[in-house]
Amino acid sequence: MSDAGQLTREIETLEAAAKSYDARYEFIADFAYPEGTQIAVNFTCDFDAMLFRRFLNETPMQLAQGEFGGRVGIWRLLDLFGSHDIKATIFTPGRICELYPQALVAAAKGGHEIADHMWEHHVPKDLQLEHDHIVKSTRAIESTVGKRPVGTRSRHTHSLLAEEGYIYNSHGSAAHGPHYIRDADGENCLLNLPFHYAIDDAMFYNFAWLSSENAAQRITDPDRVLELWWAAFQQQYRQGGYLNICLHPFVSGRALRIEMLDRLIARMKTLPGVWFPSCEEFARYCLDAFPSRGPNSHTEESR
Amino acid sequence: MPWKDGYTISDEKSLTDGELRWPDGKRCCVAVTVDLSLASGPRGVTVADLQNSSAIFGLHEGIEHLRALLERFAIKATVTVPAAMANILGPSIKALHAAGHEIAAQGFKHEDVSELSLEAERERLDLTTRILTDVVGQRPEGWYSLPRPGDPFAVGTISPNTMDLLIDAGYSYMGNGLSDDIPHYWVTDFESRRAMLTLPYYYHFDDQFFLMFPAKGTGLEHADALFANWVAEFDAQYKRGRYFNMTLHPHAVGWCNRLKLLEDFLEHMCALPGVWNATGAQVARHWLENHPAGESLRLEASVWRDYPGSLS
Repeated sequence: MSDAGQLTREIETLEAAAKSYDARYEFIADFAYPEGTQIAVNFTCDFDAMLFRRFLNETPMQLAQGEFGGRVGIWRLLDLFGSHDIKATIFTPGRICELYPQALVAAAKGGHEIADHMWEHHVPKDLQLEHDHIVKSTRAIESTVGKRPVGTRSRHTHSLLAEEGYIYNSHGSAAHGPHYIRDADGENCLLNLPFHYAIDDAMFYNFAWLSSENAAQRITDPDRVLELWWAAFQQQYRQGGYLNICLHPFVSGRALRIEMLDRLIARMKTLPGVWFPSCEEFARYCLDAFPSRGPNSHTEESR
Repeated sequence: MPWKDGYTISDEKSLTDGELRWPDGKRCCVAVTVDLSLASGPRGVTVADLQNSSAIFGLHEGIEHLRALLERFAIKATVTVPAAMANILGPSIKALHAAGHEIAAQGFKHEDVSELSLEAERERLDLTTRILTDVVGQRPEGWYSLPRPGDPFAVGTISPNTMDLLIDAGYSYMGNGLSDDIPHYWVTDFESRRAMLTLPYYYHFDDQFFLMFPAKGTGLEHADALFANWVAEFDAQYKRGRYFNMTLHPHAVGWCNRLKLLEDFLEHMCALPGVWNATGAQVARHWLENHPAGESLRLEASVWRDYPGSLS
């Protein structure tokens, strides 16, 4: 039995859902770099070592695989960035301050940004506990490296992040370039520096990533990833765009991949106008030069 | 470290490239693991695993091709054998042992022991040691728990008791850990610093994950990526003066064009000066003498704090 009224209401519900969600996004149509800069490349490290494996109650050897990131991988990435004078952003769960404080202190001393990646790499469902986790992570990072984090890579509630002074998130891929995202009420606008799974090392190298099945493994060699990412960089470079390269120290800290990243960076540096800021530095540039135009600005402009 | 029970197994920072010492001033170490287990999943070796043409190839032609190739390049490997396959493989492993390869244990049936009680696991471990000692004529020094293609993760499975049981049983090393890319100590008790020497393994250098993985017929064939990974990791570790391990399965790498890729890789590797090829047991002896736990393990007490609503 078909009911025309019912079908129309279904469409209306979908249209309303699309519209209200879309209204949370505000894009920067006239984005431009300072004279002489053609692209910003953010190297970002998600430094959870074995912490998330532990949270998921994975096996001892899975935890050991994560431990590589803390014992070995993070140090190699810091050496690599240092050798190229790149300021990276280390997104770290606050708990890592109790497991790998030396590495975080060394990263901060090297001029890298230490940002939040959730207290224990997950967002609690209870709002009060979520607030507790944000505060704990923020304080742990501040007391370990002497500077309060202003960025996060998380799905944390915007109002809670804003309360703690966070100015940007680096999550999701709604646009190639920096953009603004509000919460469902149109409030608590945060700058977002997008990253895409296609520019994420774990997608190419890590077995069983995000619970993928054995028949769906994407483990490949570094040369293939080098060419894919180089093509991504060139495509964005031509149009004055942006690239956020997401690395996991337990994945990219392996010797063969450090070599590949070294070659990738060297190739990027053969072109003029490539800027390697930390996410915070890039976020402050965006917030200053292209501040949010307020709620509903995206809808008015683009419709 | 800051140590944390249930999270970390070793100290906060690995040895740097400059701290490593190899025998006779050699530049880096290469260890080749040949896994003779035919187990396809967590249950360990089953009747079905033994009754298929690929198994027959592995047991006969595959192992013979691989043995000949290693001999041509004078490579001594560590051959891992589940106790349940020791007699099936009897003449082969005796010949490999006589040719200078090490025979190491790969569990009772190469099964997942993570749910076993301490006593049940100890019983299987002791039986495995006895069976392999009888067949080889020498007690195994190394224990492996390599991943099987049907496992949910590509890292190998152990129980919370395995490392302690191996220490009790007198094994000198465990052959597959993932916390480092050089030998390292797996600490089982912080206070006493009781620890098991662990040799590094990584699935990106293990043939089975690239060759008709996860299963013959439906799996994907990425022999080129496997070769590229071997070369890239070996070259990078050679430059750093560290360690390279590759894990080979005769039924997989022994076939046709794959064997040629292995040959090409070994040619590339053996052309470079200063490569120390050693069996797991030789690596263990060198490491325990030159990087003893008392000297190289830099453990620091836990600074972890427990809170309501957080992990403990």
